[in-house]
Amino acid sequence: MDTVTINQPAAAAIFDLLKQFITEVIGEEFAEEMDIRPSSSFTKDLEMDSIEIVAFSEKVKAHFGAHIDFTGWLSGMDLDQLINLNLNDIIHYIQQCR
Amino acid sequence: MARFAIIVPPFTGHVNPTLSLGSELLRRGHEVGWISLDPALQHRLPAGGILLQTGGGRSSPEQQENDAYLDKITSKSVYGIDSIKFLYEDVLIPLNRYMYADIRQQLLQFVPDMVITDHQLFAGAVAARQLQIPYATSVTAPAAINVMEDLPGVHEWEEKQVVALQQELGWPGDQSLDCSDVLTFVFTSQLFFGTMQLPPHFRFVGPVIQHRKTAAAFDWERFHRTPHPRILVSIGTTFDHAHKRLFFARVVEAFGGMALTVVVVSDPGLFETVPDNFIIQKMVPQLELLPHLQAVVCHGGHNTVCETLSHGLPLVVIPIAYDQSHVAGRVARTGAGLRLNFNRFKAHHLRDAVMEVLQQEQFREAAEQICSSFEAAGGVSAAAGHLEALLTTKQDPVAGRGKMQPAGKGS
Repeated sequence: MDTVTINQPAAAAIFDLLKQFITEVIGEEFAEEMDIRPSSSFTKDLEMDSIEIVAFSEKVKAHFGAHIDFTGWLSGMDLDQLINLNLNDIIHYIQQCR
Repeated sequence: MARFAIIVPPFTGHVNPTLSLGSELLRRGHEVGWISLDPALQHRLPAGGILLQTGGGRSSPEQQENDAYLDKITSKSVYGIDSIKFLYEDVLIPLNRYMYADIRQQLLQFVPDMVITDHQLFAGAVAARQLQIPYATSVTAPAAINVMEDLPGVHEWEEKQVVALQQELGWPGDQSLDCSDVLTFVFTSQLFFGTMQLPPHFRFVGPVIQHRKTAAAFDWERFHRTPHPRILVSIGTTFDHAHKRLFFARVVEAFGGMALTVVVVSDPGLFETVPDNFIIQKMVPQLELLPHLQAVVCHGGHNTVCETLSHGLPLVVIPIAYDQSHVAGRVARTGAGLRLNFNRFKAHHLRDAVMEVLQQEQFREAAEQICSSFEAAGGVSAAAGHLEALLTTKQDPVAGRGKMQPAGKGS
């Protein structure tokens, strides 16, 4: 797990990691054509469907493991929050947990 | 002999399995009535089936409101998780609210021994409970259940909408009645559904596609002269035309002029050009066609996917909205096909995916495995057996109320 650091990673590093997960989920060919930013929302901007969002969250879970309760955090969201979920929300959550 | 009332929403995929189930019940000498908003259902019912139409005898503004539900779901452009919000807020809740009084009225007149209501018509469950008629549930879109596990927040939100409506209709309490706690049919197999464990009153009876009338005309002579391989492309009865036009343009680009035959279910008017190797019809006899095909491309509607897998054919699934993403996920996970993202895929991705499922044996083998699991699930005969068993063990309708009541003893 070379990308996990004990120190609090900067937002930019978390963003790069999340972007890498998105790329793995949707495929490099498609990700290259997309403008993935911290403000990108999963549903509206990245047009990820629910299975893709689930696959993405599994990658986040697998990477951060016990450090964060990502599933619990995601479960606590209602539908509107989930629809509007963007990368920044996750970056802030991960930083908060550390 | 008993009397069953089947309550259906005006959506093809939810109605079709009940036609097979109802037909089996009729064959066994029971009486079966369908409660529906859709007068056209009359022509599709099995012989002896009775249409109990709702929404009739209302003033014309209300009749227009009725038609609006049918239009709404077919004309709005919806995608991804967002579509779940639309489905509940703009379609299901108003539809249930609108149908409730008529469902209750029809049940009072028809006096069934048992109700079978769709999992999206919780108004049917509320009416049955209030009239103390035992009810079973028909789950025609089982991926809606998977959502509990994958996205619990979404499931909780859905339950909240359902419970709020139940309370509005006069059923107190905060338990959703959407799935019966004595008998809930899941029209797939556990293998295709996934590993999530459900309580024993959820019965995996497999897809039910028997005894169905088909009305679609089809030029079989021309079809039988067409070259192999042959594929079917269908993206269902819902979704707006703009979505479809874009989609079909990519289908033409992917397969136009290739050495394969493409049967497309669509209004031919949505095609700018029709390649020679395409057969385009608004309706096709899908069940009769499947034995002559090698693969199916679809949007991940549960019925089309299960019908395809029942014939051991591999799929390329391109989900658009609602539960289709989950259905597509199951197809990919079980190895019976590939999935593409509706908004992102280009013609060559579709072509490559179809070629892959046609050429690589493992997709067909996985599809055949699911086909075997469907056959083992028992189909309409198992489903009818569960209903009959419930009738003999649950003469007292109040017995159906206990949450902990062991279900379906007679199997």
